[in-house]
Amino acid sequence: MNLNLFLREMRRNAMSLLLWMAVVTLLISVTMSMYRTFIDNQSKVLGMMNLIPKSALQFKGVSNFNDLFSVLGFYAVNNVIYMMLLGSIYSIILSSNILLKEEYGKSADFLLSWPLTRSDVFISKMSVFVLNVFLLNLVATLAGFISIEIVKTGPFGIKPFLVLSLYTFLLNLLFGAIGLFISTLIRKPKSITTFSIGLVLIMYFIYTLSKITESASKLGYLSPFKYADMDAMKPGYGLEPWRVLFFIGLSILLLVSSFRIYKRKDIYL
Amino acid sequence: MYSHVLDITRLSKLYGKTIGIGDVSFTIDEGEIFGFIGPNGAGKSTTIRILLNLIFPSGGSARILGMDVIKDSKRIKQVTGYIPSDAYAYPYMTVSEFLSYCMRFYGHKNDNGRRNELAEMFDLDMKKKVSDLSFGNRRKVSIIQALQHNPEFLIMDEPTTGLDPLIQSRFFDLIRTENKNGMTVFFSSHILSEIQLLCKRVAIIRDGKIVNLEDIESLRRKQLKKIRIWKGENDNMEDLIIAGTEGDVSNTGDMLSFMYSGDMNDLLRLLAKRKIANLTVEEPSLEEIFMHYYN
Repeated sequence: MNLNLFLREMRRNAMSLLLWMAVVTLLISVTMSMYRTFIDNQSKVLGMMNLIPKSALQFKGVSNFNDLFSVLGFYAVNNVIYMMLLGSIYSIILSSNILLKEEYGKSADFLLSWPLTRSDVFISKMSVFVLNVFLLNLVATLAGFISIEIVKTGPFGIKPFLVLSLYTFLLNLLFGAIGLFISTLIRKPKSITTFSIGLVLIMYFIYTLSKITESASKLGYLSPFKYADMDAMKPGYGLEPWRVLFFIGLSILLLVSSFRIYKRKDIYL
Repeated sequence: MYSHVLDITRLSKLYGKTIGIGDVSFTIDEGEIFGFIGPNGAGKSTTIRILLNLIFPSGGSARILGMDVIKDSKRIKQVTGYIPSDAYAYPYMTVSEFLSYCMRFYGHKNDNGRRNELAEMFDLDMKKKVSDLSFGNRRKVSIIQALQHNPEFLIMDEPTTGLDPLIQSRFFDLIRTENKNGMTVFFSSHILSEIQLLCKRVAIIRDGKIVNLEDIESLRRKQLKKIRIWKGENDNMEDLIIAGTEGDVSNTGDMLSFMYSGDMNDLLRLLAKRKIANLTVEEPSLEEIFMHYYN
């Protein structure tokens, strides 16, 4: 890794990271501030819930109405899913552009003519993407924890909370790895952002479709969202090794493949 | 130790079935300013991009200062400078930030002496943002980033595009001075006059192949003029035979055109005796020289 390149990239992406952190913190705080009102009107909410089709609630990840009234259940349903979606979008935009922007910005001829190996460039930029995704998740987790501490009416399970956060991070990381992999293959760099966001949304759509449609339930396995278990209120909820292996294994496979492709990639402006 | 600063052997690059370059071989000696000339799309940039490990060759090899351009790319770049033809510095940086950023890759953290000297020579405002620079000023940034670490070998790809004549002249003086101080230069251009001004030897590339490799003096001796003569009344010029006419003479009915490498005085003396309507003497385009000599 090259420290000069790493620090420059960190500075280059700092403003964007801060903005995303602010948005995520605001979203979590605003949503959690509604928790007290929500439980104060428990009977009215339950009445309304009975009018909503079950599939629509399943879409939000609600399997049991009563889960919504626990602070962790409320947090999981209302925030984690958005963090999974928003965090994945942030991650894939960052990773898919971090190498390619040198090509479409026409700076690659400078960067790659300075004393750096392709490995230096790849590892420095990949480290920036991993660290930024980690920092965004860290801030989201802290914002979630502080919000829960403020609005909670009783104790909540810290372990399921951390498991939720870890699954979110692993999902974001996987989408980032997918973005980086695609960027090493693509020849028309300018279209990558639209394509990347579209990919996350399509994957999310497939996941929700599989949840609300019985006949499409198997389709969900095509989407990485399916592998992140968000039902934090179920008994014995915890990290499942096969899920962790799926995320880490696939991410490593994609990152190693991207590295090998980038090392032999022809760079044109 | 190495025998040549640049040693290219049977280098090729294929794009599917299309040949980018094929079987390119030549060497550059230490202290030489070597010209590499050809029309756009001939394969000049492809060759340079292979030397810088920006693209990978389909065959052959290239060594700079005795080091392999793929395996030893990082070590080569430590002692090489590159002025790209079509690259942009990071627009969000100031010129000073960009050049310092570049220098840190070479391990020179606070060595701004040479950078400032070059910026002064080219009248470049270091405080300006790259995004606010004109095309010519961005080109100056390219030149300074390539020279500020005092490279042993300099690769230039169309370096003068966008530079005004005064700055061009300063740039050529700088290259001559650096060359006297030991820097070897590989100068790629499609402008024959620039190559003739600086280089001792030149390789001519066309359709991805080296079609000629010779001293600039012998190329100069071959220098052609494109002559066009519009016939006057009652003179069909069919008996006009001029020593020094090269290749075929084209006759369109009212005009003769041909390449001429002989003494211009002989031609004018001959034409003075004839009745002509008009005469033009032009520098042939590089493409016309290629067509003339190498077809």
